[in-house]
Amino acid sequence: MQNEQLVKDLQAILGSAKVLSEKLDLLSYSYDSSFMARNNRFVPDVVITPTSTEEVSKVMKYAFNNNISVTPRGAGSGETCGSLAIQGGIVMDLATWDTIEEIDAENMQVQMRPGVIHAELNKRLAEYGLFFPPDPGSSQMCTVGGMVANNSSGLRAVKYGTTEQYVLGLEVVLPNGEVIVTGGVNCRAIKNVSGLNLTKLFVGSEGTLGIITKIRLRLWPKPKARGILMAVFNDLEQAPQAVLDVYKGGILPSGIEILDSSAIKAVNEYKPDINLPNAEAILLYELDGNPASVKWEGEEVSRIVGLLAANVEWSTDPQRMSELWQGRAVTATAAARVREDGSRIFAGEDISIPLNKVTESLKKIKEIGKKYGIGVVNYGHIGDGNVHTAPVINPEDPEEVKLGAALADEIHLLAIAMGGVTTGEHGVGAVRSQYARKEHGAALDVMQSIKRTLDPKNIMNPGKLLPEEGNKHGTSTSSGS
Amino acid sequence: MALQQVPAVKDLLRKCVRCGKCRSVCPIFKEIKNEGAAPRAHVFLTQLMRDGELGATADVAERASRCLLCKSCSKECPSGIPVDQMVVAMRHHLHDLNNDTTKKLMLNHMFKDRKALGRARFLLQSYQSTGIKSLVQKTGVLGLVSKDLDKANKLIAPVSGTMASKNIPETAPAKGKRKIRVGYFLGCATNMFYPKRARDTVEVLTANNCEVFTPSDLHCCGMPHIANGDAESAAAMTRHNFKIFFDAGVDVIISDCASCSSMLQGDYYDQLFQELPEEIAHFKGKIYDLNKFLIDHVDLNNDLGQLPAVKVTYHDPCHLVKSQGVTKEPRQLLNMVPGVELVEMVGADQCCGGAGTFSMGHYDLSRKILDRKIQAIEDTGAEILTTSCPACSMQLGHGLNEHAMPLTVKHPVEFLAEAYRQAKRSTKIS
Ligand SMILES: Cc1cc2nc3c(=O)[nH]c(=O)nc-3n(C[C@H](O)[C@H](O)[C@H](O)COP(=O)(O)OP(=O)(O)OC[C@H]3O[C@@H](n4cnc5c(N)ncnc54)[C@H](O)[C@@H]3O)c2cc1C
Ligand code: SF4
Ligand code: SF4
Repeated sequence: MQNEQLVKDLQAILGSAKVLSEKLDLLSYSYDSSFMARNNRFVPDVVITPTSTEEVSKVMKYAFNNNISVTPRGAGSGETCGSLAIQGGIVMDLATWDTIEEIDAENMQVQMRPGVIHAELNKRLAEYGLFFPPDPGSSQMCTVGGMVANNSSGLRAVKYGTTEQYVLGLEVVLPNGEVIVTGGVNCRAIKNVSGLNLTKLFVGSEGTLGIITKIRLRLWPKPKARGILMAVFNDLEQAPQAVLDVYKGGILPSGIEILDSSAIKAVNEYKPDINLPNAEAILLYELDGNPASVKWEGEEVSRIVGLLAANVEWSTDPQRMSELWQGRAVTATAAARVREDGSRIFAGEDISIPLNKVTESLKKIKEIGKKYGIGVVNYGHIGDGNVHTAPVINPEDPEEVKLGAALADEIHLLAIAMGGVTTGEHGVGAVRSQYARKEHGAALDVMQSIKRTLDPKNIMNPGKLLPEEGNKHGTSTSSGS
Repeated sequence: MALQQVPAVKDLLRKCVRCGKCRSVCPIFKEIKNEGAAPRAHVFLTQLMRDGELGATADVAERASRCLLCKSCSKECPSGIPVDQMVVAMRHHLHDLNNDTTKKLMLNHMFKDRKALGRARFLLQSYQSTGIKSLVQKTGVLGLVSKDLDKANKLIAPVSGTMASKNIPETAPAKGKRKIRVGYFLGCATNMFYPKRARDTVEVLTANNCEVFTPSDLHCCGMPHIANGDAESAAAMTRHNFKIFFDAGVDVIISDCASCSSMLQGDYYDQLFQELPEEIAHFKGKIYDLNKFLIDHVDLNNDLGQLPAVKVTYHDPCHLVKSQGVTKEPRQLLNMVPGVELVEMVGADQCCGGAGTFSMGHYDLSRKILDRKIQAIEDTGAEILTTSCPACSMQLGHGLNEHAMPLTVKHPVEFLAEAYRQAKRSTKIS
């Protein structure tokens, strides 16, 4: 179909203000944070910004009838090209649809539209003494819709788990335009085992099965107290032991994060006020709960970790805690600071490893980096084995780009070989579908048949999550990372 | 300077990881909401232009114009990308190619040297007293600023009868023993719209052992030119201004205008000079915002009289808080003054949407940003609004007017001056 006709038809459905077709707008939707998007131009044919279920449904019916692919998009903070129209078609920007419809404090639930920003939601919930615990490093920018679609988590997954644990129900517009509700959107029960768990099917489906238009989340009481312990290690290998020792001591921190020496450097350059000590590794433990238990746990963790660490700092001062935690939260991007002409790339950045293999994986990643001559900043959620790595290259040097892609591939294969997975939270998108067969075996066929049932014409975010059917090796046709 | 050579573009562009953190703090994005208006889109478009993937067109210029240069994004970017500098570089690049004579004419008419400012004042004054038609017939100047004269009309603060520079001596001696010779950069807007503020600045400085040198032949600081893509004029004016202060042998340069001081401190020097001219290098590190200078470098005279009790709130100009990190100093000054009660507004450091000529070219967008600010001011219940930038003062004054709120807008230094005068009055009485 000609673009002009497509634009006209969509304007007839949505009105012209919600249809973006100027070249510069389309270009602005050709990237997310991924390395792959940096090296390719995935320009959509048109971008739309619907703000009602009815609008989304009409558009999907239209797309279904005319065989046009549709890619949902939140804030585009994803790392895997998930929100890019790699096969052209419509990008549906849901970030403008950002209403919190109801905070049901008595039933500890909230209902909202997909575009609500994570940090904004928690700001609003704080007024009720409640919170939505998953806490991605992209909290200030990512949408709750994007989080649900990606099953995102982050700094506090150790204790609070991932998004899926909080989704009570969803409203979803299927590829053919039909609107369904799953789980508890129309009921207020917190416990619900009625029927096949369709909610879980859509959580983490990365926009390949339908558009999430309404979300009901269960909430938790916001803990009354919080403390952060910083442990400094002169030997990287001691850090993972200090994680296990705390668990053995019967304490479950809300977060345990690691920064290696280059991550420490990056943070200090970004925000000198934070002033982290130079060391081989720093562990940050976050403890939360009621004031008495946080106090006791802080002392106990200090004692346990103090046996291994060179230095331990325990703080309950809001200013210092926010500095330390913010320091960790910005490492992802601040990594670029370690090399003057370099940029951090989001490639091979999100493997998840068995807890007892974290040290080994960190060492091996350093070795892989050395092999390719690429500096790699290591940080991540060590408490649950979700290791983030930040290769720093000059992304405008074609040689380094190739090396970066090869390095990412090696890190992914390392994860699988160590009994881990290629992604702990950032998702599969277009960049990791090539590992799907290796990771899932025959289960991949089941996934593909579910996809066929719900999306027989393969118009819903094609080219993501699952490798093209018929490709027995599961190799992705896309390139770049 | 060609786009490729601008240091921000050449060395920093590649560091953008497109994380979108800048989106979360951009006032323009907050209103427009789609990615095309996000700071990272500016970075991306700059990259495409640098690489020749995108030509210099009116569409690109329109995109580049949708930025307040408020630096909210640049301050927060974890990769250290100065997005505002890229926008400026883009505007300059587009300006070079399009040779936008309209804007050039406007900038040369209104803000360049004192004579041009005098002409502009005359024109504005007749405009304000005789109405749009006659002015447009006479000159056509305002028509060049904005397509929508009605709106532009409302935005411009009343021009004072006399420009400040007419009433301020070139050298004002220190009242006590002279400790320092201060160069006062009297910016165009303070000069034309807020002459009392300028006199109060000199009064407070001289009352604190400063000799104040206020040159009569200054040019504009160049910010409006840089913001409109005319880097050459900005560079020439900057050179001219620094030479005057250099020749006059001042120890420091201060300004009561946030935009002037941030410009003088070198926010965009990378784009103006391959190598910093000697006169400018000499002053590096010796240019201050007035509030900061008074707090950090002057042993402030504490002889302050009691003013009638008044509740004030303070708006942080972007060019102070994000560019210079000056936030506590103006508040310290206000808190010193007996009778003044400072109440904080929500989001005091959020942009007011003025940004010089931006509010004229994008009135409706600017107005939305402004309306949020006015609501925050109203919520404080303050009787007087304070800020440290004449451009913000104009924009906020306009907002207050539109909302029929009777608050006046002042610089903290005006309270200090009044308190000194009050102290003198009470001594006379007693
Ligand atoms: C600096 C940085 C730090 C990060 N830290 C973390 C972290 O700690 N933990 C973590 O999990 N992730 C992290 N991420 C990755 C990313 O931010 C998250 O995956 C986030 O949840 C994506 O949300 P988004 O709104 O940006 O979605 P997008 O990137 O726009 O989209 C992501 C996927 O969701 C789909 N999608 C979006 N909205 C909908 C919808 N309404 N219906 C159906 N599908 C939809 C898209 O098609 C796409 O496949 C980080 C990213 C950055 C840049
Ligand atoms: S400019 Fe900075 S904050 Fe914005 S997307 Fe790029 S790296 Fe992120
Ligand atoms: S300088 Fe201000 S207006 Fe311009 S892109 Fe950055 S945050 Fe937005």
